[in-house]
Amino acid sequence: MQKKAGPFFYVFLALFVFFVMFPFLWVLLSSIKPLGELFGDKAFDWFTSHPTLKSYVSVFVNYPFLRYLWNSTVVATVTTVYTVFVAAFAAYAIARLEFKGKTVILGLVLAVSMFPQIATISPIYMFVKKFGLTNSYLGLIIPYTTFALPLSIWLLVTFFRKIPFDLEEAAKMDGATPMQTYFKIIFPLAVPGVFTTSILVFIAAWNEFLFALTINTAEKYKTVPVGIAMFQGQYTIPWGEISAATVIVTIPLVIMVLLFQRRIVSGLTSGSVKE
Amino acid sequence: MRNEKRMERLLGYSLVAPAMLLILAIAIWPVIQSFYYSLFDYRLNDPTKSSIHWSYSLDLEGYLQNYPFLKSALKQEMAAADGQTKQTLAQIEQKLAKLDAAIRSNDQVAKQYDKVNEVLDNFETPSDELKIAELDKQTAERLTVTVHDVVETLKEMKKAGELQQADKVVGLAEGLEGVVIEPNFVGLKHYKDSFSDMRLWKALWNTTFFTVVSVAIELVLGLGIALLINKAFFGRGLVRATILIPWAIPTAVSALMWKFLYDGQNGIVAKYFETIGLVDRMGDLLTTEAGAMFAVIFADVWKTTPYMALLLLAGLQTIPSSLYEAASIDGATKWQQFTKITLPLLKSSILVALLFRTLDAFRVFDLIYVLTGGGPANSTETISILAYKVMFSQTNFGAGSALAVIVFLCVAVISMIYIRWLGKDLLSDGSSVKR
Repeated sequence: MQKKAGPFFYVFLALFVFFVMFPFLWVLLSSIKPLGELFGDKAFDWFTSHPTLKSYVSVFVNYPFLRYLWNSTVVATVTTVYTVFVAAFAAYAIARLEFKGKTVILGLVLAVSMFPQIATISPIYMFVKKFGLTNSYLGLIIPYTTFALPLSIWLLVTFFRKIPFDLEEAAKMDGATPMQTYFKIIFPLAVPGVFTTSILVFIAAWNEFLFALTINTAEKYKTVPVGIAMFQGQYTIPWGEISAATVIVTIPLVIMVLLFQRRIVSGLTSGSVKE
Repeated sequence: MRNEKRMERLLGYSLVAPAMLLILAIAIWPVIQSFYYSLFDYRLNDPTKSSIHWSYSLDLEGYLQNYPFLKSALKQEMAAADGQTKQTLAQIEQKLAKLDAAIRSNDQVAKQYDKVNEVLDNFETPSDELKIAELDKQTAERLTVTVHDVVETLKEMKKAGELQQADKVVGLAEGLEGVVIEPNFVGLKHYKDSFSDMRLWKALWNTTFFTVVSVAIELVLGLGIALLINKAFFGRGLVRATILIPWAIPTAVSALMWKFLYDGQNGIVAKYFETIGLVDRMGDLLTTEAGAMFAVIFADVWKTTPYMALLLLAGLQTIPSSLYEAASIDGATKWQQFTKITLPLLKSSILVALLFRTLDAFRVFDLIYVLTGGGPANSTETISILAYKVMFSQTNFGAGSALAVIVFLCVAVISMIYIRWLGKDLLSDGSSVKR
């Protein structure tokens, strides 16, 4: 249904974009307000006449925010690399090879991806505690497998299925072993899919909250979402710092989304649409 | 040819195996264990319940740190006392000695007993495995009853002033009270308790209400947006990026952002809501029950409607435009086209999107934990939040695990209903493996 868009449409679009972006916009504007203008009469003014970067400085000076960023980066990167690696083999087999029980396995993967985290948290918590892994990177990477691995397999299977079978047949005719076929033919073609999967898994691991909240409680090992959420003290909430921190974590996301939006959308919709 | 097939099958299984083993070990096994935990009175803050016990056992460390000293203290008291007091003390000493012999009558226990003694003599701490000895039910009960009697008797003697070092003797005897570890298997008691607790029903109701309302709004809005932007226009990429940002930002961070916008004194959204009359006073948004639920749903709709719209847009784009052309030639109205073409062809996309969203909403945690913490007065407490609180604030892993299992079962039932609707669509090969 390719219709021409009229002027009303663009007005609607502008409104829509404004509504979606409003919270960020407001937080951005608040992050450069001096502390005094966050409360009281001036709290509802859109623009401050005394913009300041004090909140940004405070985030790094008064909170171990850099440490949080580093922790999140390490945990999310390692989780992504290792789960996508393991998942790539499984997904290749499910998408390309003939063997019994494939549908059951895929069903299991899908079922596991729907598990509520709360249902696995107590045994996982006891496990990491027993092995002294609380407050460590491994203590998060292991539990993150529960959602990252099924997600990777599910996405990669749909990507692998899109690669034409003829290529594989041709390789087989020429006497290539399945392993050769995988590394020389399938993998290069699957790189975009693997990349997309990695982005989505990375975002999921970066955003995870419950495991990070319960397992890594020491300041030194907190991840960004938990770290920011714990900015709020018992009686006061440092809105200036929270706004600045929110902006800091959102900007890389915005850049990533702008760069990879096509891929992210194809990843998000790949499991749900039959083409 | 047959050989080749076998090779392929073997390769298939071996490629899938590592992933499957990981999933079994890190996702499926914990769920089974959660169920197992839920059958026990399992509390992390209570040393006698901080692990799972099927049978009675004895904490040898606690026992040996008290019994030998109590024995010698009693002997000292006996030497200093006379008459009735001396006799009572002798009886106590004898009773305890008999018990000690009964404990040591088991060879395995006797061995552990001596080892723990040795370790304690060296001023070291025995390992958990070493210090916990199994005890038969009879001895365990005898030990509990005897120790209780001894403590009572000694306390009376203390009151009567018959003891020289009363505090020490009573203290040592009391030290023996916690050494018997009772089996903490409680069967389905946690489930029974949970289901008779109004708090669970409230949490279930909150979860269901949140899920149904937010998913319904998201579906309607998402479908509307998808239909509107399903056309060629300038700035598509920008709109798509805009749509993705709420989805990509960590839920905890967006929850905090909304908390700022909803703030009763300085929140801009709260102020606008007051201005347009959505709430009576700004402060009502996070401090009244209805206001808090509305605030949570609104934040969730903001975050996930774009995602819903994306899924539906992808579905819309697979509908061939020729169908609409044919329909308009036949004189079908826009509404007829929507109900007769769009909806039926979009059905599986809608169901898949609904499935994912319903399950996500049902297990909601981060958003509510950060935005309202379940308050005010538990009005936004969902079942995941309740389970978390019981497990980690009350450190009651047994009861908390029971709640976690209830969440799991609910999610399982919801998925089954959807999958029945969806049929096998979800798992079948998109490009079919028929060669």
